Amino acid sequence: MTAAIDTPAIQTRGLTKRYRRVTALSDCSVTIPEGRICALVGPNGAGKTTLLRILSGLARATGGAASILGGAPRQDPAFLAEIGFLAQEIPLYRRFTAEDHIGFGAHLNPRWDGASVRSRLGELGIPVDRPVGKLSGGQRAQVALALTLAKRPRVLLLDEPVAALDPLARRQFLGTLTAAVADSGGELTVMLSSHLVGDLERVCDHLVLLAASRVQLCGDTDDLLATHKILVGARKDTSALGRAHTIVHAERTERQDTLLVRLSGPVIDPGYEVADVSLEELVLGYMGAGGPPAYAHLTAIGEDR
Amino acid sequence: MTWLVWRQYRLQAAAAAVLLAGFAAVMVVSGLQMASQWHAMLGTCTTGGGHSSCEGAPLGSTIGHDFEVLSVMVPAVLGIFFGAPLVAHELESGTSQYAWTQTITRTRWLTVKAGWLLLAAAVWGGAVAALVTWWSGPRNALYGNQFQPNYFDVQGIVPVGYAVFATALGIAAGTLLRRTLPAIAVVIGVFIGVRLFISDVVRQHYIPAVTSHMSFLSTPGTLARSWDLASGITGPNGQPLPQSSSVNSFNGVPLASLPHACQVLIGQASRQAMVAGDRCLDAAGYRVYDVYQPANRYWAFQGIETGVFVALAAVLLAITYAVVRRRDA
Amino acid sequence: MISFRVDGRSGVPPYLQLVQQVRQALRMGVLDVGDQLPTVREVVAAVAVNPNTVLKAYRDLEREGLVEARAGQGTFVRRRPPGPPPGTHSRLGRSLARWVRDARDAGLDDESIESLLRVTLRASDSEEEIA
Repeated sequence: MTAAIDTPAIQTRGLTKRYRRVTALSDCSVTIPEGRICALVGPNGAGKTTLLRILSGLARATGGAASILGGAPRQDPAFLAEIGFLAQEIPLYRRFTAEDHIGFGAHLNPRWDGASVRSRLGELGIPVDRPVGKLSGGQRAQVALALTLAKRPRVLLLDEPVAALDPLARRQFLGTLTAAVADSGGELTVMLSSHLVGDLERVCDHLVLLAASRVQLCGDTDDLLATHKILVGARKDTSALGRAHTIVHAERTERQDTLLVRLSGPVIDPGYEVADVSLEELVLGYMGAGGPPAYAHLTAIGEDR
Repeated sequence: MTWLVWRQYRLQAAAAAVLLAGFAAVMVVSGLQMASQWHAMLGTCTTGGGHSSCEGAPLGSTIGHDFEVLSVMVPAVLGIFFGAPLVAHELESGTSQYAWTQTITRTRWLTVKAGWLLLAAAVWGGAVAALVTWWSGPRNALYGNQFQPNYFDVQGIVPVGYAVFATALGIAAGTLLRRTLPAIAVVIGVFIGVRLFISDVVRQHYIPAVTSHMSFLSTPGTLARSWDLASGITGPNGQPLPQSSSVNSFNGVPLASLPHACQVLIGQASRQAMVAGDRCLDAAGYRVYDVYQPANRYWAFQGIETGVFVALAAVLLAITYAVVRRRDA
Repeated sequence: MISFRVDGRSGVPPYLQLVQQVRQALRMGVLDVGDQLPTVREVVAAVAVNPNTVLKAYRDLEREGLVEARAGQGTFVRRRPPGPPPGTHSRLGRSLARWVRDARDAGLDDESIESLLRVTLRASDSEEEIA
């Protein structure tokens, strides 16, 4: 499957997923360009897993459209060869060894680099002849990542891959992931969901924030950090500010306002001290740390422009 | 994919092979013993009145008979072990998320996996059936009862049909219920229900039964190797007399419904009286009737019943394919 | 050979931290002219940062003229960052120590001193911009 030069790696338009009583995703539209490492963040139950499963073809949307490298997710070797998916529970065959899985992969995938699995696991000191169920969580995650990379996907979808790992295993996993992206020369796009935002700032250059089944933010992290600022000032009426820009989240004490603002231009009011926002603060602001969440009172936030 | 199926089911295949070997050993030993008993008997049996004088003679060991009876469960057991976990285990353990994101379509995945396991079920079911059929040789020759229910179910080719159906049932149930244990329960319940329904209600209608009327005076022929469905007496108007199973009945018909003159003769025990009674009934226009499936239809019935179960299996597989393709993993 | 570290909590963007660490390494002599910088892949595998971060840092260094990328071979140090003449550091350090003593005597704590320094730096930056 060849994609045109400006075909986004991942794109959804109005994607909706409803179960019998629950709406998991509601009118989600995102665009992720090729070569990005995109963080998919949001509170638990926001729809992150659902989005990844729809993109990988494991689940079907009830409305809207999704595309990977220009093609809809479907039962077709041409599509399946391009994607790699790693579910949260690392669903490998527990009683089989890593070597067995390399054999499975060779039989199931025409594009298969089994040697890369052995060399990666060798570098990390993970035995390939022990049943995968007997490895530690971090080792199992590395095996699964190596196997997923060995099928040479162009879009890699990871669901909370480091949630259950200790800090060292987490660092090693992310190191392997970023090295694979570096090796691919811009051909590999990654979307990984996580609710540990700290790791993501250094690894991810694109962000999608899902909350209450809706997309709240979608864009390059550099852009997002440039257009959002923290404004600190004396407590006062903010309606004028709110008209000029968008107040995402406000924390007000008796004397002081701390505002997370999405700027539509320069801040004119000299009464505010303007500070840069970190990615973690940005995400927490939209998710409503300590106050009502942004999505409760904002509309049409985060649409990719 | 075939290699993956082999690796996944290696242990099960080995266990099944061991069980089959054990079964074969018992049946072969018992069968050889039965065959030699039979050959010894052959010289001494006389046939008269449609029955052999050797009937009732001991033939074969208890263990052999027990295993023959147990073999009726083999298709259900195959359905439980080969069919129920096939899709269900992958769904409940989550490995379907791994398998279905490799470069293999779900259709192909299912085809290879189900194909091999259905074949394995057919082969195992067929092997057990072949052993039981061979073992039953002497008994079939002596009693000719292989067309009767229960004997019909464990010989010939129908066990292959049952095995394929039970496995397809397990696969479908596992796919719809997404869990192995409930699928096993469904296999047991539905399989037994369908088998009973078909063998008790449907089988006799595959080909319309033959009804034959005979005079009381003719020498009784033998219906050996046929499947006797019903028998009784027709009155002078040609209609069957109502049946009862009370003590005072003759050929299933209450004595009181027969002409008085004949009743008296039938009631007596001597052979002369019985002959006179026959003549009396014949003169009065009474006939014996039999509803049965003739022996030469045995293989036709085997083929039809196998076909019915294979067709059911095909329907279940079609449902499985549709669900696997469309369902969320 | 230089080894990088990225502090996620420092408030300085990762790519800028890498740039600063290369400059610091050059000043301290850990890196010399002609040395090869680690490849993007090596940095990324060791530090778990986005490859684009490393590329951006190396591009910035290249723009400053400190390093040059040789096609197919890697990125090599070209020259040292312009620095003050030797002795400047020690001379300025001494006068700074005197000033700090004065500030402490006047009653400023460390935080007020740092805050005063930051404000002064920013003010002098904008003076330079206007000028």
